[in-house]
Amino acid sequence: MSTNSFRRVAVTGLGIICSIGESLSRFREALFKGTCGIGPVTLFDTRGYIGPLAAQVKIQDLESFFEPKEIKRVSRCDVLGLIATREALLDSGLSLQQCNREKIGVVLGGGAGGMLSWEKYRRTEWYAERKPRPSLLIASAPCTLTDLIATRYGLKGFRSTICTACSSSATSIGYGFDLIRSGTHETVITGGSEALCELTFAGFNALRLVDPEPCRPFDRSRRGLSLGEGAAILVLEDYVRAIDRGATIYAEVLGYAINADAFHMTSPDPEAMGMSRVMAKALEVAEVSVDRIKYLNAHGTATKINDQMETVAIKRTFGEKAARDLAISSTKSMVGHCLGAAGAVEAVATILALYEQVAPPTIHLDEFDPDCDLDYVPNQSRSLEIDCALSNSFAFGGNNTALVFGRGQGKA
Amino acid sequence: MSNIVFTGIGIISSMGVGREAFWMNCRKAKSGIRKITTFDTSTLKSNIAGCVENFDPSNFMSRKAYRRMSPISRMAVAASVEAIKDSQLNLDVMERERIGVILGTSYGSSSHVEDFYVSLLKDGPRGAQPFLFPETVPNAPASHIAMLHGITGPNSTFCQNAISAENAILYAQNLLSQNLVDVVLVGGAEELSGMLYSCYDAVGVLNKIKCRNDDTIQPILGGGLILGEGAGILVMERLDFALERGAKIYGTLEASVITGGTSAIDHYEVNGEQVARAMYAVLEQADVDPSDIDQIAVSANFSGELDRLEYDQLRIIFEAAKRSLEITPLKYLIGDFGGAGAIIAGASLLSLYHQEPLPTVNVEILKGTSQRTIEWNIHPPRETRFSLMTSTTYGGGSAIVFSKHPESD
Repeated sequence: MSTNSFRRVAVTGLGIICSIGESLSRFREALFKGTCGIGPVTLFDTRGYIGPLAAQVKIQDLESFFEPKEIKRVSRCDVLGLIATREALLDSGLSLQQCNREKIGVVLGGGAGGMLSWEKYRRTEWYAERKPRPSLLIASAPCTLTDLIATRYGLKGFRSTICTACSSSATSIGYGFDLIRSGTHETVITGGSEALCELTFAGFNALRLVDPEPCRPFDRSRRGLSLGEGAAILVLEDYVRAIDRGATIYAEVLGYAINADAFHMTSPDPEAMGMSRVMAKALEVAEVSVDRIKYLNAHGTATKINDQMETVAIKRTFGEKAARDLAISSTKSMVGHCLGAAGAVEAVATILALYEQVAPPTIHLDEFDPDCDLDYVPNQSRSLEIDCALSNSFAFGGNNTALVFGRGQGKA
Repeated sequence: MSNIVFTGIGIISSMGVGREAFWMNCRKAKSGIRKITTFDTSTLKSNIAGCVENFDPSNFMSRKAYRRMSPISRMAVAASVEAIKDSQLNLDVMERERIGVILGTSYGSSSHVEDFYVSLLKDGPRGAQPFLFPETVPNAPASHIAMLHGITGPNSTFCQNAISAENAILYAQNLLSQNLVDVVLVGGAEELSGMLYSCYDAVGVLNKIKCRNDDTIQPILGGGLILGEGAGILVMERLDFALERGAKIYGTLEASVITGGTSAIDHYEVNGEQVARAMYAVLEQADVDPSDIDQIAVSANFSGELDRLEYDQLRIIFEAAKRSLEITPLKYLIGDFGGAGAIIAGASLLSLYHQEPLPTVNVEILKGTSQRTIEWNIHPPRETRFSLMTSTTYGGGSAIVFSKHPESD
């Protein structure tokens, strides 16, 4: 297949719910303002943990979205994902009645899925309080949300759920890009959802990767990450079809790459080879030279090692000069680390940066770290001409993903 | 003809540990369903599954390598070691960035999820065991494969219930056809933990059989799921790459399709529209008629719902073939699990390579009512060109056509 026969891929709809905003417009405002969404957790007891804080979502108006019977059966992760999907589809202006739904795929990234429901079941059983409800188990498979979205909107195309921890939903956007680019699908619903749960909360605490205070990416005194939750859904569409129907084009997906560190389950490769190779490969696939990337949304978890290694990797990929010219931010400083949804939440932030031509800030960045000496857009967003942007996601197990976006033509 | 072929197979299953043992038992339709002995089932309504027995990871890797691995990671890595050896790939001279590892699993290590959470319930936030947590992510097995072999190319894990391994195969195809890689280790894996089994038991979807040690197990047709576990890894590569290195070729990936349906999350499609659509599409893609298909591996799993819908759709699609329809429900022998598709694909490829048909049953058995016992037909070697594999899961369906490669004559 020659390069010319590949279709271009447009982002035409965005939906998001996370701790700093329960809709796209609120998220956009909070993102550029530099709002911190990290605070106390009410979903479960966090006493006794090193880091008791997280970026929890306030879900409102559940009744307008679900039947009372349905509320009992869907997990928190699925609730967040369905809310974001409704917004993304509305935002895209797609009329599903007029679409061939066999050509609409659903490809999501998953994290802990319905773990919170399973924990409720297991905890009840453990303390033998009463017989737990088996229905709590039904929504526990990681692909439940993918199926629920397809069922709710009658989407009969390709179906896939990618589970590579913190890079899942970034990869799902990449796979959606492949499906449209190759011409097999006209539209793909991609993204991901994650709900806070005790398993991941206790896990990151046990590994001592959590900051007792809200996380401080790239700051010298950073002590670890803050967990978060939320969902972000992107509607990807064949670019030409999107133009024909007069859709708003937020951005163009230009390419992506995935790879493996093949080094350690929880630590990044100390040479940062995996991270730099994945960025270089994504740029190669996207046919974008390093000097065209003006904004980079970092993985930026705020662990000592990640931020240092990511800085090394950016310098290696872009070269010292181009790396210094980049505006880099870790939006995890505001929304926390949303694990399975992180890649999608950050893709939305990256796309908004392109669309608004504003680089969002890294908040809580006050103290300079000689190991992190690039421009991380500290504490205040910045207007900037952005032609292309890159978003990084690196996961447990050494699963790396980099996404490259280009400026869309905006409103038709 | 497609230009993607399979050149190596590794299998850890309840029907045998290792490719040869598996194939020998598969040919004889020797069931791997047995009484569960690895965890307590006394309070449950069922106690049978396709459990892997006599699996010693030290036959495949060093103790240091597997010490911290979960059961699923051990099985997946062991299968990868066998598959690479079988393929005769020389990793030392290969560009490791041009090799991918793509797996499918429903849940990953459910035992580590349980053990970690119980350590939290027992000992509180400061007592939760940090070394158990990294294995709770479903991508752990694929990461271990990458680490053990030093493979730094594309690495991903798909969790789509019973079409997880099928999803992995399609993504591997996507990578190979874009020439992003030369070789992919593709497959699926699942471990059966006490936690996972008791959850299925609580939901009430298992075949309610409690057997004693010496019982011959007779599953109730249509009576509910029988779970299983295991791992299958296939070496998948572009034909030109395989030919250049003089590889043994098991078979060709002729065509593959995944479709979505719109059923509820805890039920199969009522009529199987999505899997029928996948089968029609895959036959069209492969440019073959139903009558060209020599054998059909189906995903029937004793659930009743799935078996019946597969029966209905196969009857419609293959009616024109005008013959008594024989099919292979391999999950009747190995149990049902997310990564099972990789083992079923492995069986289909071994059958094409050896030109020895898979064991079959008459399609009528899927109706689940008329027959009590399962009678397997074992066939002598015969020409087998096209093998169809079809899978159905909640809301999704897949169909893949494998073909005999001329080079294997």
